[in-house]
Formats: sequence, C-alpha cells, structure tokens
Amino acid sequence: MLKRLLLVRGSELVMFALLAIIPLFVQSGYALGLLTLLAIYGILLIGLDVTVGYLGQVNLAQAAFLGIGAYAAGIGVTRYGIGIFTAVLVAAAICTLLGALLALPALRLDGPQFALATLSFTALTTIVLNELEPLTMGAQGLSLSRPPLLGRTLTSRDFYWLCMGFLALVWMGMRNLLSSQWGRAFEALRDSPIATDAMGVGAYRHKVAGFALGSALGGVAGALYAFNFQYLQPHAFVYELTVILLLGVVLGGRKSLWGAFVGASLVALLPNLLSSKTLFQAFSAAGFAMALFAGVRGLSQKSLKPFQAISPIVATATLLVGSMVVKNTEDWRKAIFALMLFSVVVGLPEGLMGFATGFLARLFRVDPPPLPPPAPLDEVLPSRPADGEVLLEIRDLKRWFGGVKAVDGVTLRVRSGHIHGLIGPNGSGKSTVVNVVSGLYTPTEGTMLLRGEPLPIGSLFRAARAGVARTFQNLQLFTGMTALENVMVALRGVYRVPLPLVLLGFGRGEERRAQAEALALLAFVGLEGQARAPAKDLTYGAQRFLEMARALARRPEVLILDEPAAGLAHPDVVKQVEIIRRIRQRGITVVLIEHHMDVVTELCDVVTALDGGKMIAEGTPAEVKRHPKVIEAYLGSEAPGDADTHPLAPEPAGG
Amino acid sequence: MPESIIAQMAVSGALMGLVYALIAYGFQLTFATSKSLNFGQGELVMVSAFFSLTLLTLGLPYLLVVPAGLLFGAAVGMAVERTGVRLALEQRSEGWILLTIIIGLFLFSFAENIWGRDDRPFPTPIPSTPFHVFGVDVTPLEISVLVGVLAVMGMIELFKRQTLLGKAVEAVAADRDAAELMGISATRTVVLSYALSGGVAALAGILVSPITTVGPTMASALVLKAFSVAVVAGLESGFGVVVIGLFLGALESLASFYLGSGWREAPGLILLILALAVRPTGVFGKAVIRKV
Repeated sequence: MLKRLLLVRGSELVMFALLAIIPLFVQSGYALGLLTLLAIYGILLIGLDVTVGYLGQVNLAQAAFLGIGAYAAGIGVTRYGIGIFTAVLVAAAICTLLGALLALPALRLDGPQFALATLSFTALTTIVLNELEPLTMGAQGLSLSRPPLLGRTLTSRDFYWLCMGFLALVWMGMRNLLSSQWGRAFEALRDSPIATDAMGVGAYRHKVAGFALGSALGGVAGALYAFNFQYLQPHAFVYELTVILLLGVVLGGRKSLWGAFVGASLVALLPNLLSSKTLFQAFSAAGFAMALFAGVRGLSQKSLKPFQAISPIVATATLLVGSMVVKNTEDWRKAIFALMLFSVVVGLPEGLMGFATGFLARLFRVDPPPLPPPAPLDEVLPSRPADGEVLLEIRDLKRWFGGVKAVDGVTLRVRSGHIHGLIGPNGSGKSTVVNVVSGLYTPTEGTMLLRGEPLPIGSLFRAARAGVARTFQNLQLFTGMTALENVMVALRGVYRVPLPLVLLGFGRGEERRAQAEALALLAFVGLEGQARAPAKDLTYGAQRFLEMARALARRPEVLILDEPAAGLAHPDVVKQVEIIRRIRQRGITVVLIEHHMDVVTELCDVVTALDGGKMIAEGTPAEVKRHPKVIEAYLGSEAPGDADTHPLAPEPAGG
Repeated sequence: MPESIIAQMAVSGALMGLVYALIAYGFQLTFATSKSLNFGQGELVMVSAFFSLTLLTLGLPYLLVVPAGLLFGAAVGMAVERTGVRLALEQRSEGWILLTIIIGLFLFSFAENIWGRDDRPFPTPIPSTPFHVFGVDVTPLEISVLVGVLAVMGMIELFKRQTLLGKAVEAVAADRDAAELMGISATRTVVLSYALSGGVAALAGILVSPITTVGPTMASALVLKAFSVAVVAGLESGFGVVVIGLFLGALESLASFYLGSGWREAPGLILLILALAVRPTGVFGKAVIRKV
C-alpha cells in the first residue's frame, strides 16, 4: 500500500515539484516560454485523450477548440475587460457548449463519420474566425495584453506558475474522474455500446459528455494560449495543428495522463528539434536504432507481423537518410511528422508511456490496492416478495423488418416471481421479442407494460432504467475490463456523488461500497476468486456467469436471459441452472429463452412457445411439450408422439 | 437580382459539384468493400494532377496523359491500401483513419518540395470559350467535366454489374465472410477497390485542374466537400452522390455570391454536420439494423 502510494503518487509529486522550482534556476526567457507552452499543451492533450484514448474516436477538432478558447478569451479581454480567471471560465464554457452541440449529431455514428464531422468543424472554425472580421479582426490578427491578476501584473515567470497550476488541477481532476464510474463508463462504451446502454449507463450521453469535457479543456488551454502569445491569427488553429496534436497523444500513449504530458513535451519541442540539424540527425538515428531493434526482435520472436516490423524500419531509415540529404529540414516538416507518426502508429501502437508502464509494472510489481470484504447479499440483492401478480405484460406485440414479420402479434403475461420460458424453433421470433422488450428495437405495434406502467420503447438505456436487465446470446462483456469492473459499471443506485465533487476526489467512499457490492454479486455466481481477472481471459462458462452478475447489478425487476446455457459444457449448465434458481429465490422475475429443453423443464413455471412470430402454445413445461403444435413446429407434422421423452437438441444459434 | 445570373451561378456551381461527386464516388467504392476510406484522398488528387502536368510539360499528348494519370492514381491508391489500410483492417481497428491522414500529410510535403508551393496552370486542348445554352453560358471545359464524370461512373457501375471481377467486388461489399467462403479473396478485392478509387480521384484531378490550376493545396477544399457529399448522400448510393454533388455545387456557388467568397466552403461543412444530426445514414442511405 505504502509502496504504491510512494511510487505512483510520489512520481507525480516529484514531477510537479521539479516543474515548480525550475524557474528559480532557469533565467532564460526562451526556456521559460517553452515550459509554459508545455503546460498549455499538456492541458490540451489531456482533453484530446478523452476522445482519442478513452472514447476511442479519431477527433480532429481539438485545434479548433484551442482556437475558439483563445479567441473567446482574447475578445473577452479586449472588448469587455474581463480578468484572467473569468476568461478561462468563459472559454471553457463556450467550448463545452460548442463541443456538446457538435457531439450531439457527430457521435450518433462512430468511426469515419465522426472523424469527418470533426474535420469539417475545424475547417468551419477557421472560416468563421477569418470571416467574422468585426469580432476577430480576421486574417490581420487579434492583439491583446495579459490582464493583471489581483491587481498585479504577471511576469512571464508568474504566468508560467499559473499555467502549471492549471495543469496540476486538470491532472488531479482527470485522475479522480477517470478512476470513478465515469472512467469505467468510457471504457465500457468503447468495448460494447449496446451492453453499456443495456446496463442503464447510457453510451451516447457519456460520449457526448466526454467529448464536451475534452473540448472544455481545449478551451482552457486556448485561453492560456491567448495570454501566452498575446497575438492570435486564425491560421494558427488549422488542420495541421490537429494532426500534430494527434501525434502527441499517440506518441505519448493513449489513456494515460503521463502519456499526454510526454506527448505535450514532444509537441512543444518539435520546432526546436527541426531547427537544429545535428539534433535532428541524432534523433533520427536513435529512432532508426529503436525501430531496427524492435523489428528484428519482433520478427525473431514472431510477435510482430512482417509489415509491423519492417515498415517502421523503412520509415525511420527514410527519416535518417533524409536528415543527411535534405538541406532545410523545416521545408520537409510535414513529411517528417508523417514518417514519425507512421512509425509510432504501426510499430508502437501503445505509445511511449504504454510501453514504459508495462516495463515499469514488471520492474516494480506494484500491487493493486486491496479489495474490501464483500457486502452482505441481503443488502445488495434484497429479497423481493413474489406476489404472483402480473409484472410484465405484452399485448399484441408486432415487429416487422420490411416484409418480414419477425413478431406478429404476441401477447404475454409474466407473473412476478416466476421464471417464464420462451421457446420456439430458430426464427420463431423469441429473440426479437426480448430485443423489443429490452428496447433494442422499436415495436411496430403493440403495448408493453411493467407493473401496469408503459415500458419505455426503443431505448435500451431507458428500458434498463425502468427495471429491465438482460444478458446477451452472443456475449457482450466489456472485454478490456476486469470481472469486478464489469459488475461495478452496471451497479444501480450506488453512484450518487455529483460530478464536481467527483472531480475533487470525494467519490472514493462510494467507490469502496461499489467494490464491496460487486464482490458480493461475483460471489453469488461463483466468481469471487477471479475479481481481478480481465473479462476476456475468463473461460467461456465464467463469461456467461459474469454477464449474469452484471445484469443482477441492475437490481432488476425483470431479468431477461437470452440463451444463458448456449454453448456451455454440461457441468457449467448445471451451475447455470443453480444460479438461475437462486435468482428466483431472491424474488427476481426471469424471462428465459432457452433451447435446452431439460433446463426449461427444470426451471420454468410457465412456458410460451412461439413459431413464425406468433404464439402457438402456453402452459406448464409438461403441457407445452405435449402440445401438438409445438411438436409440429419442432419436428414437422409426421412427428412421433414421444417428443417429451427426448430433450430437444440444442441449436447453435437462436432466431 | 436577375434570374439569369442566379441560373448562371447555379449551373457552373453544379458542374463543379460533379467533381465532388466523383471523388465521393471513390470513397463509396472503398467503403463498400472494406468499410474504410482514404482520408488523404485530396493529396492523391493533387499528386496525380501534378504527375499529369509533368507528363504534359514533357510533351506527351493530352489523350495519353489522361490514361497515364489514371494509372498513376490507381497505383498510389494501391500503395495507400498496402501501407495504411490493410494492417488496421486485419486488426479490425480504426487505425486506418490516422494512417491515411499521415500518408496524405507525407504526399503533401512531398509535392510541396518536389513541384513547389506555387499554383500552376494546367494546359488543355479543350477550349474554355463559353457558348450559350438555355440562357446560360457553359464552357466546353465544364462539359468535359460532365462527360468525364458520368462516363467513368457509368463504366465502373457496368463493370460491377457485368463482369465476374465486378461481381466479386459486389459480393465482398454485400458480405465479406460469405464471399471469402465462396473463394473470393477479400484482400484482393479491397486492393482493386482502392485502385479504382485512386483512378477515379486522379481523373477528378485532371478534370478540375484546368479550371482551378494545380498546386499543393488545390484539393484540400475539394476533398472536404467530397466528404460532405459522401456523408450527406450516404456511403452506398452512386446515384445519390451525383444528386447531392450537383446540389452542393450550386448551393456553395450561390453562398459565395451572397455572403462573400470566404464563406464558399461553409455550406458543405454545415450540411455534413446537419446530415449527421438529421439522417446519419445519409439521404440515400439505408438504415442499419443493430444486431446482438
């Protein structure tokens, strides 16, 4: 514990202490200017890392937010005479707002469309800054002077301390935020947006919030940038800067505050690197040596694909040869960025800090902080009275896909405390029914009521909030997170501390409680020993159990299990049946889709059989199995009458 | 405001819009097979134009320069696929966005240093003296854009429908895994689509150069608008990009007339963001059904 505190927090403290005392020894205004820029870029890149690292989206708008923040501060100071802190706040507020406005449409789609929307935003920003001459002075530029702080004129040394102070604040706030439920939500939505919604966390709103937050930091950096240079021109905030900022984040290492800091140092120092030819040659030679070493090692150990090993060597060799041949390296600036960035993206996708952290972790073996004892199960999953009343009611539900009537008029009554089975051959509409109930699909027609209240339609997120939890036929775990974190993301009713307090570090108490409750749920499904294991390393059976624990963390009224035994080996099927039985004992109502007829017979109070999108039979398992229409649906009309003595074969994929 | 001037602006704008449509069509070709596109396509347009200009100044006839330029563009497209896209697709990551941006940056710097930073005229045998049709002036140059764009798009659509290779492209676009099981190499199909896309982009460069001149930044605005057209139309419909391209070209021509030339690029950018807000799959795109 002490070791951890010393190494992790200690290194941060030492760094900031060093940065704070540097100006006492360094008198050169040039060096101080570079360090100030480092602090500003640090804030900017920490903001960019939220989208690029945590949300996993290529964001090409950060340079625009730097510009907007800078102009907001510049215009505020020159026109309205506001002070430094007000200017920073105004810049952050404007960028948050614009960030949210951009993110609302842009984040509806992932990947290329998002990148394109942010690219357009950057281009649009440059146009507006250029053309709104009455406000921004257009291409001729906006001059401003740094306003005094508390009646005192800031020297460049004071201003440096101010910027470092902001960086330290941002650093602390982000660390608190990212180690809270917010950070987990970001990671979760990158792994599986659908499951994030289905766990009531809300992928879309977290994405928008994350993007707005990153943009706000861009605004803060922009305001400081304006006070640093005291002269602004629109063309300083163009596409090229965006690419350099991306270089910083990727080279430094994504999802890491240290990575953003390393990247910022690189971005701040790049122009100097290029201005001295010897320095640049030494740098290229070092890069080439690294690429060669890593490439040869990766090839001989077969840990890298040939392309991954060879192309960084070629790129860095080009850089080295270029540094010898080319007269003016400044002219080739962009090509040099391109070659560096290419080598890093292909050869070192984790970035410098990603590489270094792995190395340091092996060297020092810092143990994670110990987990609290599991919370009592009765607190986590209080027993509900099972009154047998109708809990979930579906009336005449229809869902058509074009001409395909996947569900064509299904009526169901699920009683509280029951396990309600849903069976039918592949393509009979079972999965579509639960996908409509859980909000993945909007019903074409029909009513759905939960305890007599209409269930929200067409939104996984709102259905989850209303009390419906589900598992998935094709597992939708958050594979990059540990088993414990998977459950913690979904916990309902634990996270109450508002965002500002979380940023200040007041979220730790509820974090411990969340861990205790999640541990209790892991114990409930028999995974307490694997809390720290990454979800992707669990056995297939354990992954199925983990999905159950995660769904239970919602403390649902209705739990929908979509083929929970599919693909499980026999011992795991037995365990799974046991878990479902214990879930019923807690009074949770279960809707169970299953192909294993023995599982259905053993567990279900009522079974509904579907075929061709319509209900064909309903009753106790024994009644339904004998029902002629069910036998016909499974076996054809010439079926022998002894179908109930043979469990129906499990099928690989449901309809 | 006389209507004839508005009509004139709209028509010449719309004809420029066809160039955006052509580049956007190139995006669709690669997006169909690989769900990826070249973010450095503008630079590809630009280096192809410079390459063709070099051939012209060396004395090659225009009719030979055009196919040579197309081949060059196709080759660059294949190079982009090999260095920037294939690895990311194998890892099923979106690294190709960053990598194609990087390659574009490299090409830009390369062109800047090899061919210079100045804009240069692109001599062409096609005359630019306007003639009068239906009350508006049209130049043969603009007609060459119209003919070139529609001809090459028509040829590629025919190729996709009528030839075995083209059907392989369609098969991979419809279902990559199923196509692979039927013995079609998806990788080769993706290479082919990048080659076609590069050729199409090169043609756009050659067609537009006589009108805009050739320089390192000639395509940066062009490609932004091609992105807009592709997103607004949806990344599936070839017919859609033509319609949206014509519309956007006319719109921005009018915008620059009424608001000032600095605002010329704005409508496309706003349209793109609006399209994402209102109809994320594009005006002519199909809605995607999420599956679990």
